[in-house]
Amino acid sequence: MTELPTLAALSQIRDDYRAGAAGDADAAKSCCAAVYGIDLVSLFLGESYHPGGIELSRRIANLTALRPGDEVLDVASGIGTTAIMLASELDAVVTGVDLGAAQVARATARAADAGVGNRAHFEVADAERLPFDTPAFDVVICECALCTFPDKAGAASEAARVMRPGGRLGLTDIWVNPDGLESELAGLAGRIACIADARPISELQAILETAGLRVAHVERHDDALAATIDLVTTRLRALRLLDLPLLRGVNIRRAIDVARLAADAVARGDAGYVAIVANKPNDAGA
Amino acid sequence: MTGRFEAPDRVDRDEVFLEYTKSICPVCKAVVDAEVNVRDNKVFLRKRCRDHGRFEALVYSDAQAYVASTRFNKPGTLPLATQTEVRDGCPLDCGLCPDHKQHACVGVIEVNTGCNLECPVCFADSGHHPDGFSLTDEQVEAGLDVFVAAEGEPEVVMFSGGEPSIHPRIVEFCAMARDKGIRTVVLNTNGIRLAHDPSFAPRLAELDVCIYLQFDGLSAATHTAFRGRDLRETKSKALERCAVAGLRALLVAAVDATVNLGEVGAVVRFGIAHPAVRGVVFQPVTHAGRTPSFDPRHRLTNPDVIGALVDQCGDWFRPSDFFPVPCCFPTCRSITYALVDDEDVIPIPRLLPMDTYLDYVTNRALPDPSVRSALEALWSAAAVPGSPTLTERLTTVLGDLGLTDEGKDLAAAVLETCFSCGIDFPDALADLAAKAFMIVIQDFQDAYTLNVKQLMKCCVEEITPDGRLIPFCAYNSVGYREQIREQLSGVAVPAVVPNAVELADLVVLSRHGSRTVDPDGTANTNYVQVNLGHTLR
Repeated sequence: MTELPTLAALSQIRDDYRAGAAGDADAAKSCCAAVYGIDLVSLFLGESYHPGGIELSRRIANLTALRPGDEVLDVASGIGTTAIMLASELDAVVTGVDLGAAQVARATARAADAGVGNRAHFEVADAERLPFDTPAFDVVICECALCTFPDKAGAASEAARVMRPGGRLGLTDIWVNPDGLESELAGLAGRIACIADARPISELQAILETAGLRVAHVERHDDALAATIDLVTTRLRALRLLDLPLLRGVNIRRAIDVARLAADAVARGDAGYVAIVANKPNDAGA
Repeated sequence: MTGRFEAPDRVDRDEVFLEYTKSICPVCKAVVDAEVNVRDNKVFLRKRCRDHGRFEALVYSDAQAYVASTRFNKPGTLPLATQTEVRDGCPLDCGLCPDHKQHACVGVIEVNTGCNLECPVCFADSGHHPDGFSLTDEQVEAGLDVFVAAEGEPEVVMFSGGEPSIHPRIVEFCAMARDKGIRTVVLNTNGIRLAHDPSFAPRLAELDVCIYLQFDGLSAATHTAFRGRDLRETKSKALERCAVAGLRALLVAAVDATVNLGEVGAVVRFGIAHPAVRGVVFQPVTHAGRTPSFDPRHRLTNPDVIGALVDQCGDWFRPSDFFPVPCCFPTCRSITYALVDDEDVIPIPRLLPMDTYLDYVTNRALPDPSVRSALEALWSAAAVPGSPTLTERLTTVLGDLGLTDEGKDLAAAVLETCFSCGIDFPDALADLAAKAFMIVIQDFQDAYTLNVKQLMKCCVEEITPDGRLIPFCAYNSVGYREQIREQLSGVAVPAVVPNAVELADLVVLSRHGSRTVDPDGTANTNYVQVNLGHTLR
């Protein structure tokens, strides 16, 4: 997957270009090369977007019976959209963790702007090695992220470890039926819809059970994934029409075709989006 | 217990009572109470006149959409001036009176009653009749001045009729409107003069007039049904002259279930392919003035047109692409825009969360307030494609393709980076915006469907030479049209009654082709056989 360049990196490229002689062909070339490297899809969707959006975040919070004052961990909190919602709308005390330092800084600033800086804080951490020694959370939320973790079982055990007995995990993620997908979908479509390393629902449940959690509720939100793919497809189509010189090296038609394959997979029931609630038994770890 | 009285089961009503409002009696135009009910997922307006009984009409064929659109109701804007005071209550004080909920997005000036056609369908009862009027320069100027006083910088003035192109001063009227600072001038025409007078299109092009071209369909049968003769060659020639002169045109189709509902997709495809055409406006036939007879419970409404269009252009559109217009009442009008080239048609509402931006009831922080105001200008009765303002607004919307702040920051950085290399992103966006094609679905109210709730927020007004701005649907149904025609022509005008099947026994043909109450009718002596305009202020 192409990494999204940071703002700082882009500014550096721009400044380097400006520092060089105007019209310097090499400088121009390296500048454009850097821009070509950008993951178009990430650029158009940003990083905090997940299928179902904030409405599904509210739904998962409701399914975990989140109460005012609950201590909540948001794994892969991005720029903090869900954490800020939980703190401001539901009076939760939220800790968000994310691997990206820029994301964490952004989330911290946004929480302060939203007036919930005292109830939502963020730190850089790896979901597979959470920096919490004790089971300190009533609720753990993890949205559209498990499919991107290389060690899914490890991330699940870590979540289970930091949950208080009786705690609830609210997970939303992409699911796929691996036998039903065209081989082409492993590549670009993976980038478009995170399908690349997604698992069947049964496997997601098994991962949680193995981590010591009890799956209490499963509900499908396949339409949310269909809507996301539709949005991406439409934007790619608009991008083709826009015909920016800097995008002429990218085969947008190809990307549109693959996005349509992904939409077909969702339409025929070979991929979708799922919300799962799993509880940590009260006697666990006793 | 034995011997107990066995009560009959109570029965539920077969409808959901949704609104209590006011309307008019379609026969005598008396203001009456009305209720809006939902039955079988359809919305009906029902009312009762003390003298003429009960009337019911279908007003929206998708009750779910009717209810859901409530939250897209934008708070109205106060005009700088109103022209009447509140005296008798809506809809008798037009207008605009201080109780009106919206300013005028569009001002319509009907410059004449004469027409070079005599269409079987004409809400204005126009034609070759000798008893009409033709406005003078002074009258048009007086109307424009009232409009300017009310709006400051009015957005759109539309010259209509009659057939405005046969008015000898029409080009001067367009120039006068421009001189008064009105941003967009629209000419509502059947295209005959455009086709036959080679000098006409270039003169209008100099004034950047937008052509609102009557264009009901592509089949001869449709032309004959609505216009009385096959005008296909005329329309084609008129559009060709527009294209050559650089005039932009909107195709305007009256739509009826039995005539041309099956052609709406073909009209859109024709429009997208034609270099002069920037959009299509579909209007279910307004049952005012001259119309074939109709059944008010089975009339065509906006969701039916959208449904037919989606059926016929399923490769391009789905119903959710047609978004209600928040400036008027959201059920009056739905609009979509699409980016088009020879390969693809992309509905713009799919590119961004429209319902978040245009939800005025749920109080949430907006992703970007500038996008809301751009969308408000696009989803407005005043939106005329191809105008500089509109292209600018579209550019704003398209520049906001990213959903999230960080996406936008990044996009801005990329663009700035590219800008260093001499690529002008705003220009590229403006080029894209210039490719936008507009589709409007607009249901006007008639004496059957009139709902004061909608009328009070109407933003399309008839400008009358006596200095009033009368909401278009009130003008056509309450009696104002007859009043103004009588006043300007000096000839008595009979009160128009809708040509509904159920009223067939009560009405006779008027000399203009519409229906009026039978003056010799004996069925009910309470008929008010007057031009209600006599009792209007």
